[in-house]
Amino acid sequence: TPAVNLHRFVGCAVREFTFLARKPGCGALHITTDACWGRCETWEKPVLDPPFVDTYQRVCTYNRSRVVTVSLPGCLPDVDPAYSYPVALRCDCSVCVTSTTECITSV
Amino acid sequence: HDSRSLAPGCHLHRKCRRPSGPSGAAVNHAAVLGRRPFPATRGRFIAQEITLSLHPPAFNVTIRSDRRGTCKGTHLVFACVGYCESSAFPSRYSVLVASNFTHNITSASRCCTISRDAKVKVRLDCPRGRHHDEIEILTAKACRCDMCRRSRY
Repeated sequence: TPAVNLHRFVGCAVREFTFLARKPGCGALHITTDACWGRCETWEKPVLDPPFVDTYQRVCTYNRSRVVTVSLPGCLPDVDPAYSYPVALRCDCSVCVTSTTECITSV
Repeated sequence: HDSRSLAPGCHLHRKCRRPSGPSGAAVNHAAVLGRRPFPATRGRFIAQEITLSLHPPAFNVTIRSDRRGTCKGTHLVFACVGYCESSAFPSRYSVLVASNFTHNITSASRCCTISRDAKVKVRLDCPRGRHHDEIEILTAKACRCDMCRRSRY
């Protein structure tokens, strides 16, 4: 696979992602999985009617995924050790659907 | 796309590319503007955008006094177009609990936005050399990757 220059990359791709899985009553577990990262086209243009700006906003997010369940270590006897998370199979530029996704935006 | 439009970041586009359609400029939007009275017809202004490229980095806005375009004026308006970083990853446990385990993905994004704009005046020209009021419209002056404005973006 040819090397990709991440500083110049435009588009949306599956990318390795490491996070700390934890929940109350259990120990934490480092998990490396596939998630989505990229740069999608967005624009704003002035228009004559309120709100005076038209926007096109697409973000890099999961298109297809599967769910993996692992067992967290050191859980209390009454705590279920199962921890489920999505693994990205395919990523695309699309709208962030708030019914299934926590959509956050930063400055 | 030209090389600049495919570069990461968020840019004010000044370069107009020719449209791909066979008829040259293509009308992609028409709207009725009703905020200010028009002295000649006391009707509504009609705004029409003539797109000069596939996406709207720069486009001509034509304002007409009526459907026939008795009086009209045109001005070039700039937009912001770009590629800002976004990512999506498994949600934290606190997000899962707060969403009743429906939001197992978190999407963190920035979008190309107009960070500074300016008003430009469009003069409406009429037949026989008469001209009417100047109408103010907005144009982008600077762009940056910033908050995505829509809640569902």
